[in-house]
Amino acid sequence: MAVPISQMWTVATYVLKKRFSGTTRYPLVLMLEPLFRCNLACAGCGKVQYPPHILKKQLTPEECFAAVEECGAPMVSIPGGEPLLHPQIVEIVNGLIARKKYIYLCTNALELKRRLPEFTPSKYLTFSVHLDGQREHHDFSVCREGGYELAVEGIKDAVKRGFRVTTNATFFDGTDPNQVRGFFDDVMEMGVEGIVLSPGYSYDKAPDQSHFMGRARVRRLFRAALSNRKPTWKFNMSPLFLEFLMGDRKYECTPWGSPAYNIFGWQRPCYLLQDGYADSFKELLETTKWEEYGVASGNPKCANCMVSCGYEPSAVIDGFGSLKGFWGMVRGTFNKYRDQHALNLLNEPMPHGPSSLVQITHPDREFEETRA
Amino acid sequence: MSAEVLKYTLEQVEALELVPGTEHEKLEGWVPELAGEDDVRQALEKAFDYRGDVTITLKSGEKIEAYIFNRHTGATLAESWMQYFTPKADDKRKVSYAEIARLEFSGKDRAAGKHWEDWVKAYNEKKAAGETNIALHPEKLE
Repeated sequence: MAVPISQMWTVATYVLKKRFSGTTRYPLVLMLEPLFRCNLACAGCGKVQYPPHILKKQLTPEECFAAVEECGAPMVSIPGGEPLLHPQIVEIVNGLIARKKYIYLCTNALELKRRLPEFTPSKYLTFSVHLDGQREHHDFSVCREGGYELAVEGIKDAVKRGFRVTTNATFFDGTDPNQVRGFFDDVMEMGVEGIVLSPGYSYDKAPDQSHFMGRARVRRLFRAALSNRKPTWKFNMSPLFLEFLMGDRKYECTPWGSPAYNIFGWQRPCYLLQDGYADSFKELLETTKWEEYGVASGNPKCANCMVSCGYEPSAVIDGFGSLKGFWGMVRGTFNKYRDQHALNLLNEPMPHGPSSLVQITHPDREFEETRA
Repeated sequence: MSAEVLKYTLEQVEALELVPGTEHEKLEGWVPELAGEDDVRQALEKAFDYRGDVTITLKSGEKIEAYIFNRHTGATLAESWMQYFTPKADDKRKVSYAEIARLEFSGKDRAAGKHWEDWVKAYNEKKAAGETNIALHPEKLE
């Protein structure tokens, strides 16, 4: 079990309180983007394509605290940009710890080793290090040779100093599930608490627009990579969300589950899609046309999305909101997902470009490409 | 519900292998003709999606260099507005569509021409030439 009991308890009681109070739309994780500036220039990233005057702007600690208090989510993820480039990031983190928020500080870790002495280990603080795969894959993904080496140095130093550390991987088209499994082995050997992963989202603003997997391909990749798990692998994610990625569960998006706040305001409708901004969290909840988003809406901008910020809240609410969901979560925590069909998938050639679905013989799963 | 919604059925979505990305128009340097209300709305929607600054000329003659990050479209141009940052001020500003006389996509498109294949090609060429520490670097902010 990768997520500590105290964090699970905080989230579970929060979900139950909201449920019993009849609240239907509530946040679980605030995506707090204190700046968009970054020290990488990844081709698949849609978060940093701004003019210099925008990249120089940043939220003040007071603006961050106000957003956290207004939103009320028990967890705060701090992505960017690269948060360690924010001159007041230590003050922001300490302020959130004082407010007893579980923080995931997302970093590419190029600066982590240098900045670590400024932070104090806490059960509330996790460094979520962006690592997209094994050395060559990661360096290609972040368009920087040597990026993997620096990130791993930062991870090992953080673990040694007693910090909670997870890795955070995004997978795009062409990812080899065998390499993903090798990557899981590598990161667990580094001593991290758990692995976080997600398929890439087709950001409108990303420079590269040709390597985003559709849902069928996402499910096939994750069924191959996440079945037949090794006992050493730990995932810092809801087991139900992982089952969703593998094609065993169907969820609708919960875009308000991970609201995003940045220099522009409260982003509509979610962390990924930029369809405008609201001045307050209340305004975001009350005036966003939620029915226009999510897979059920048919909105093409949501078509390939199976990303954690929209679907993990759905899985967490399911897990803590019903006995059936809770039992599924418990079972998923200890399940190794033995699956011969998934083993066979590991031996198939990787798809490059649109290809036909995997042939099936015994259809007992809903999605054609993941049937055993 | 906007026009683009309901483009895909659930079955189509679930069967997608690859997702067609956004095809970005080459807007850098473009000056749209703002003859009618529809022209203004369409041009400002493109400006909202644009990955660079634009120059707005108001009917008063004032020129504003701006990064547009938000818009609200109402029943009339007077009820529609956009929100922007300028390079020289810290605060968010707002202007009504009805006040806009001219629009120019004057700033650089910050993502144009940076494709994955370009990176792989450049990497392979540099590697073959014996270079090390090959990387794409963020542009300078000054």
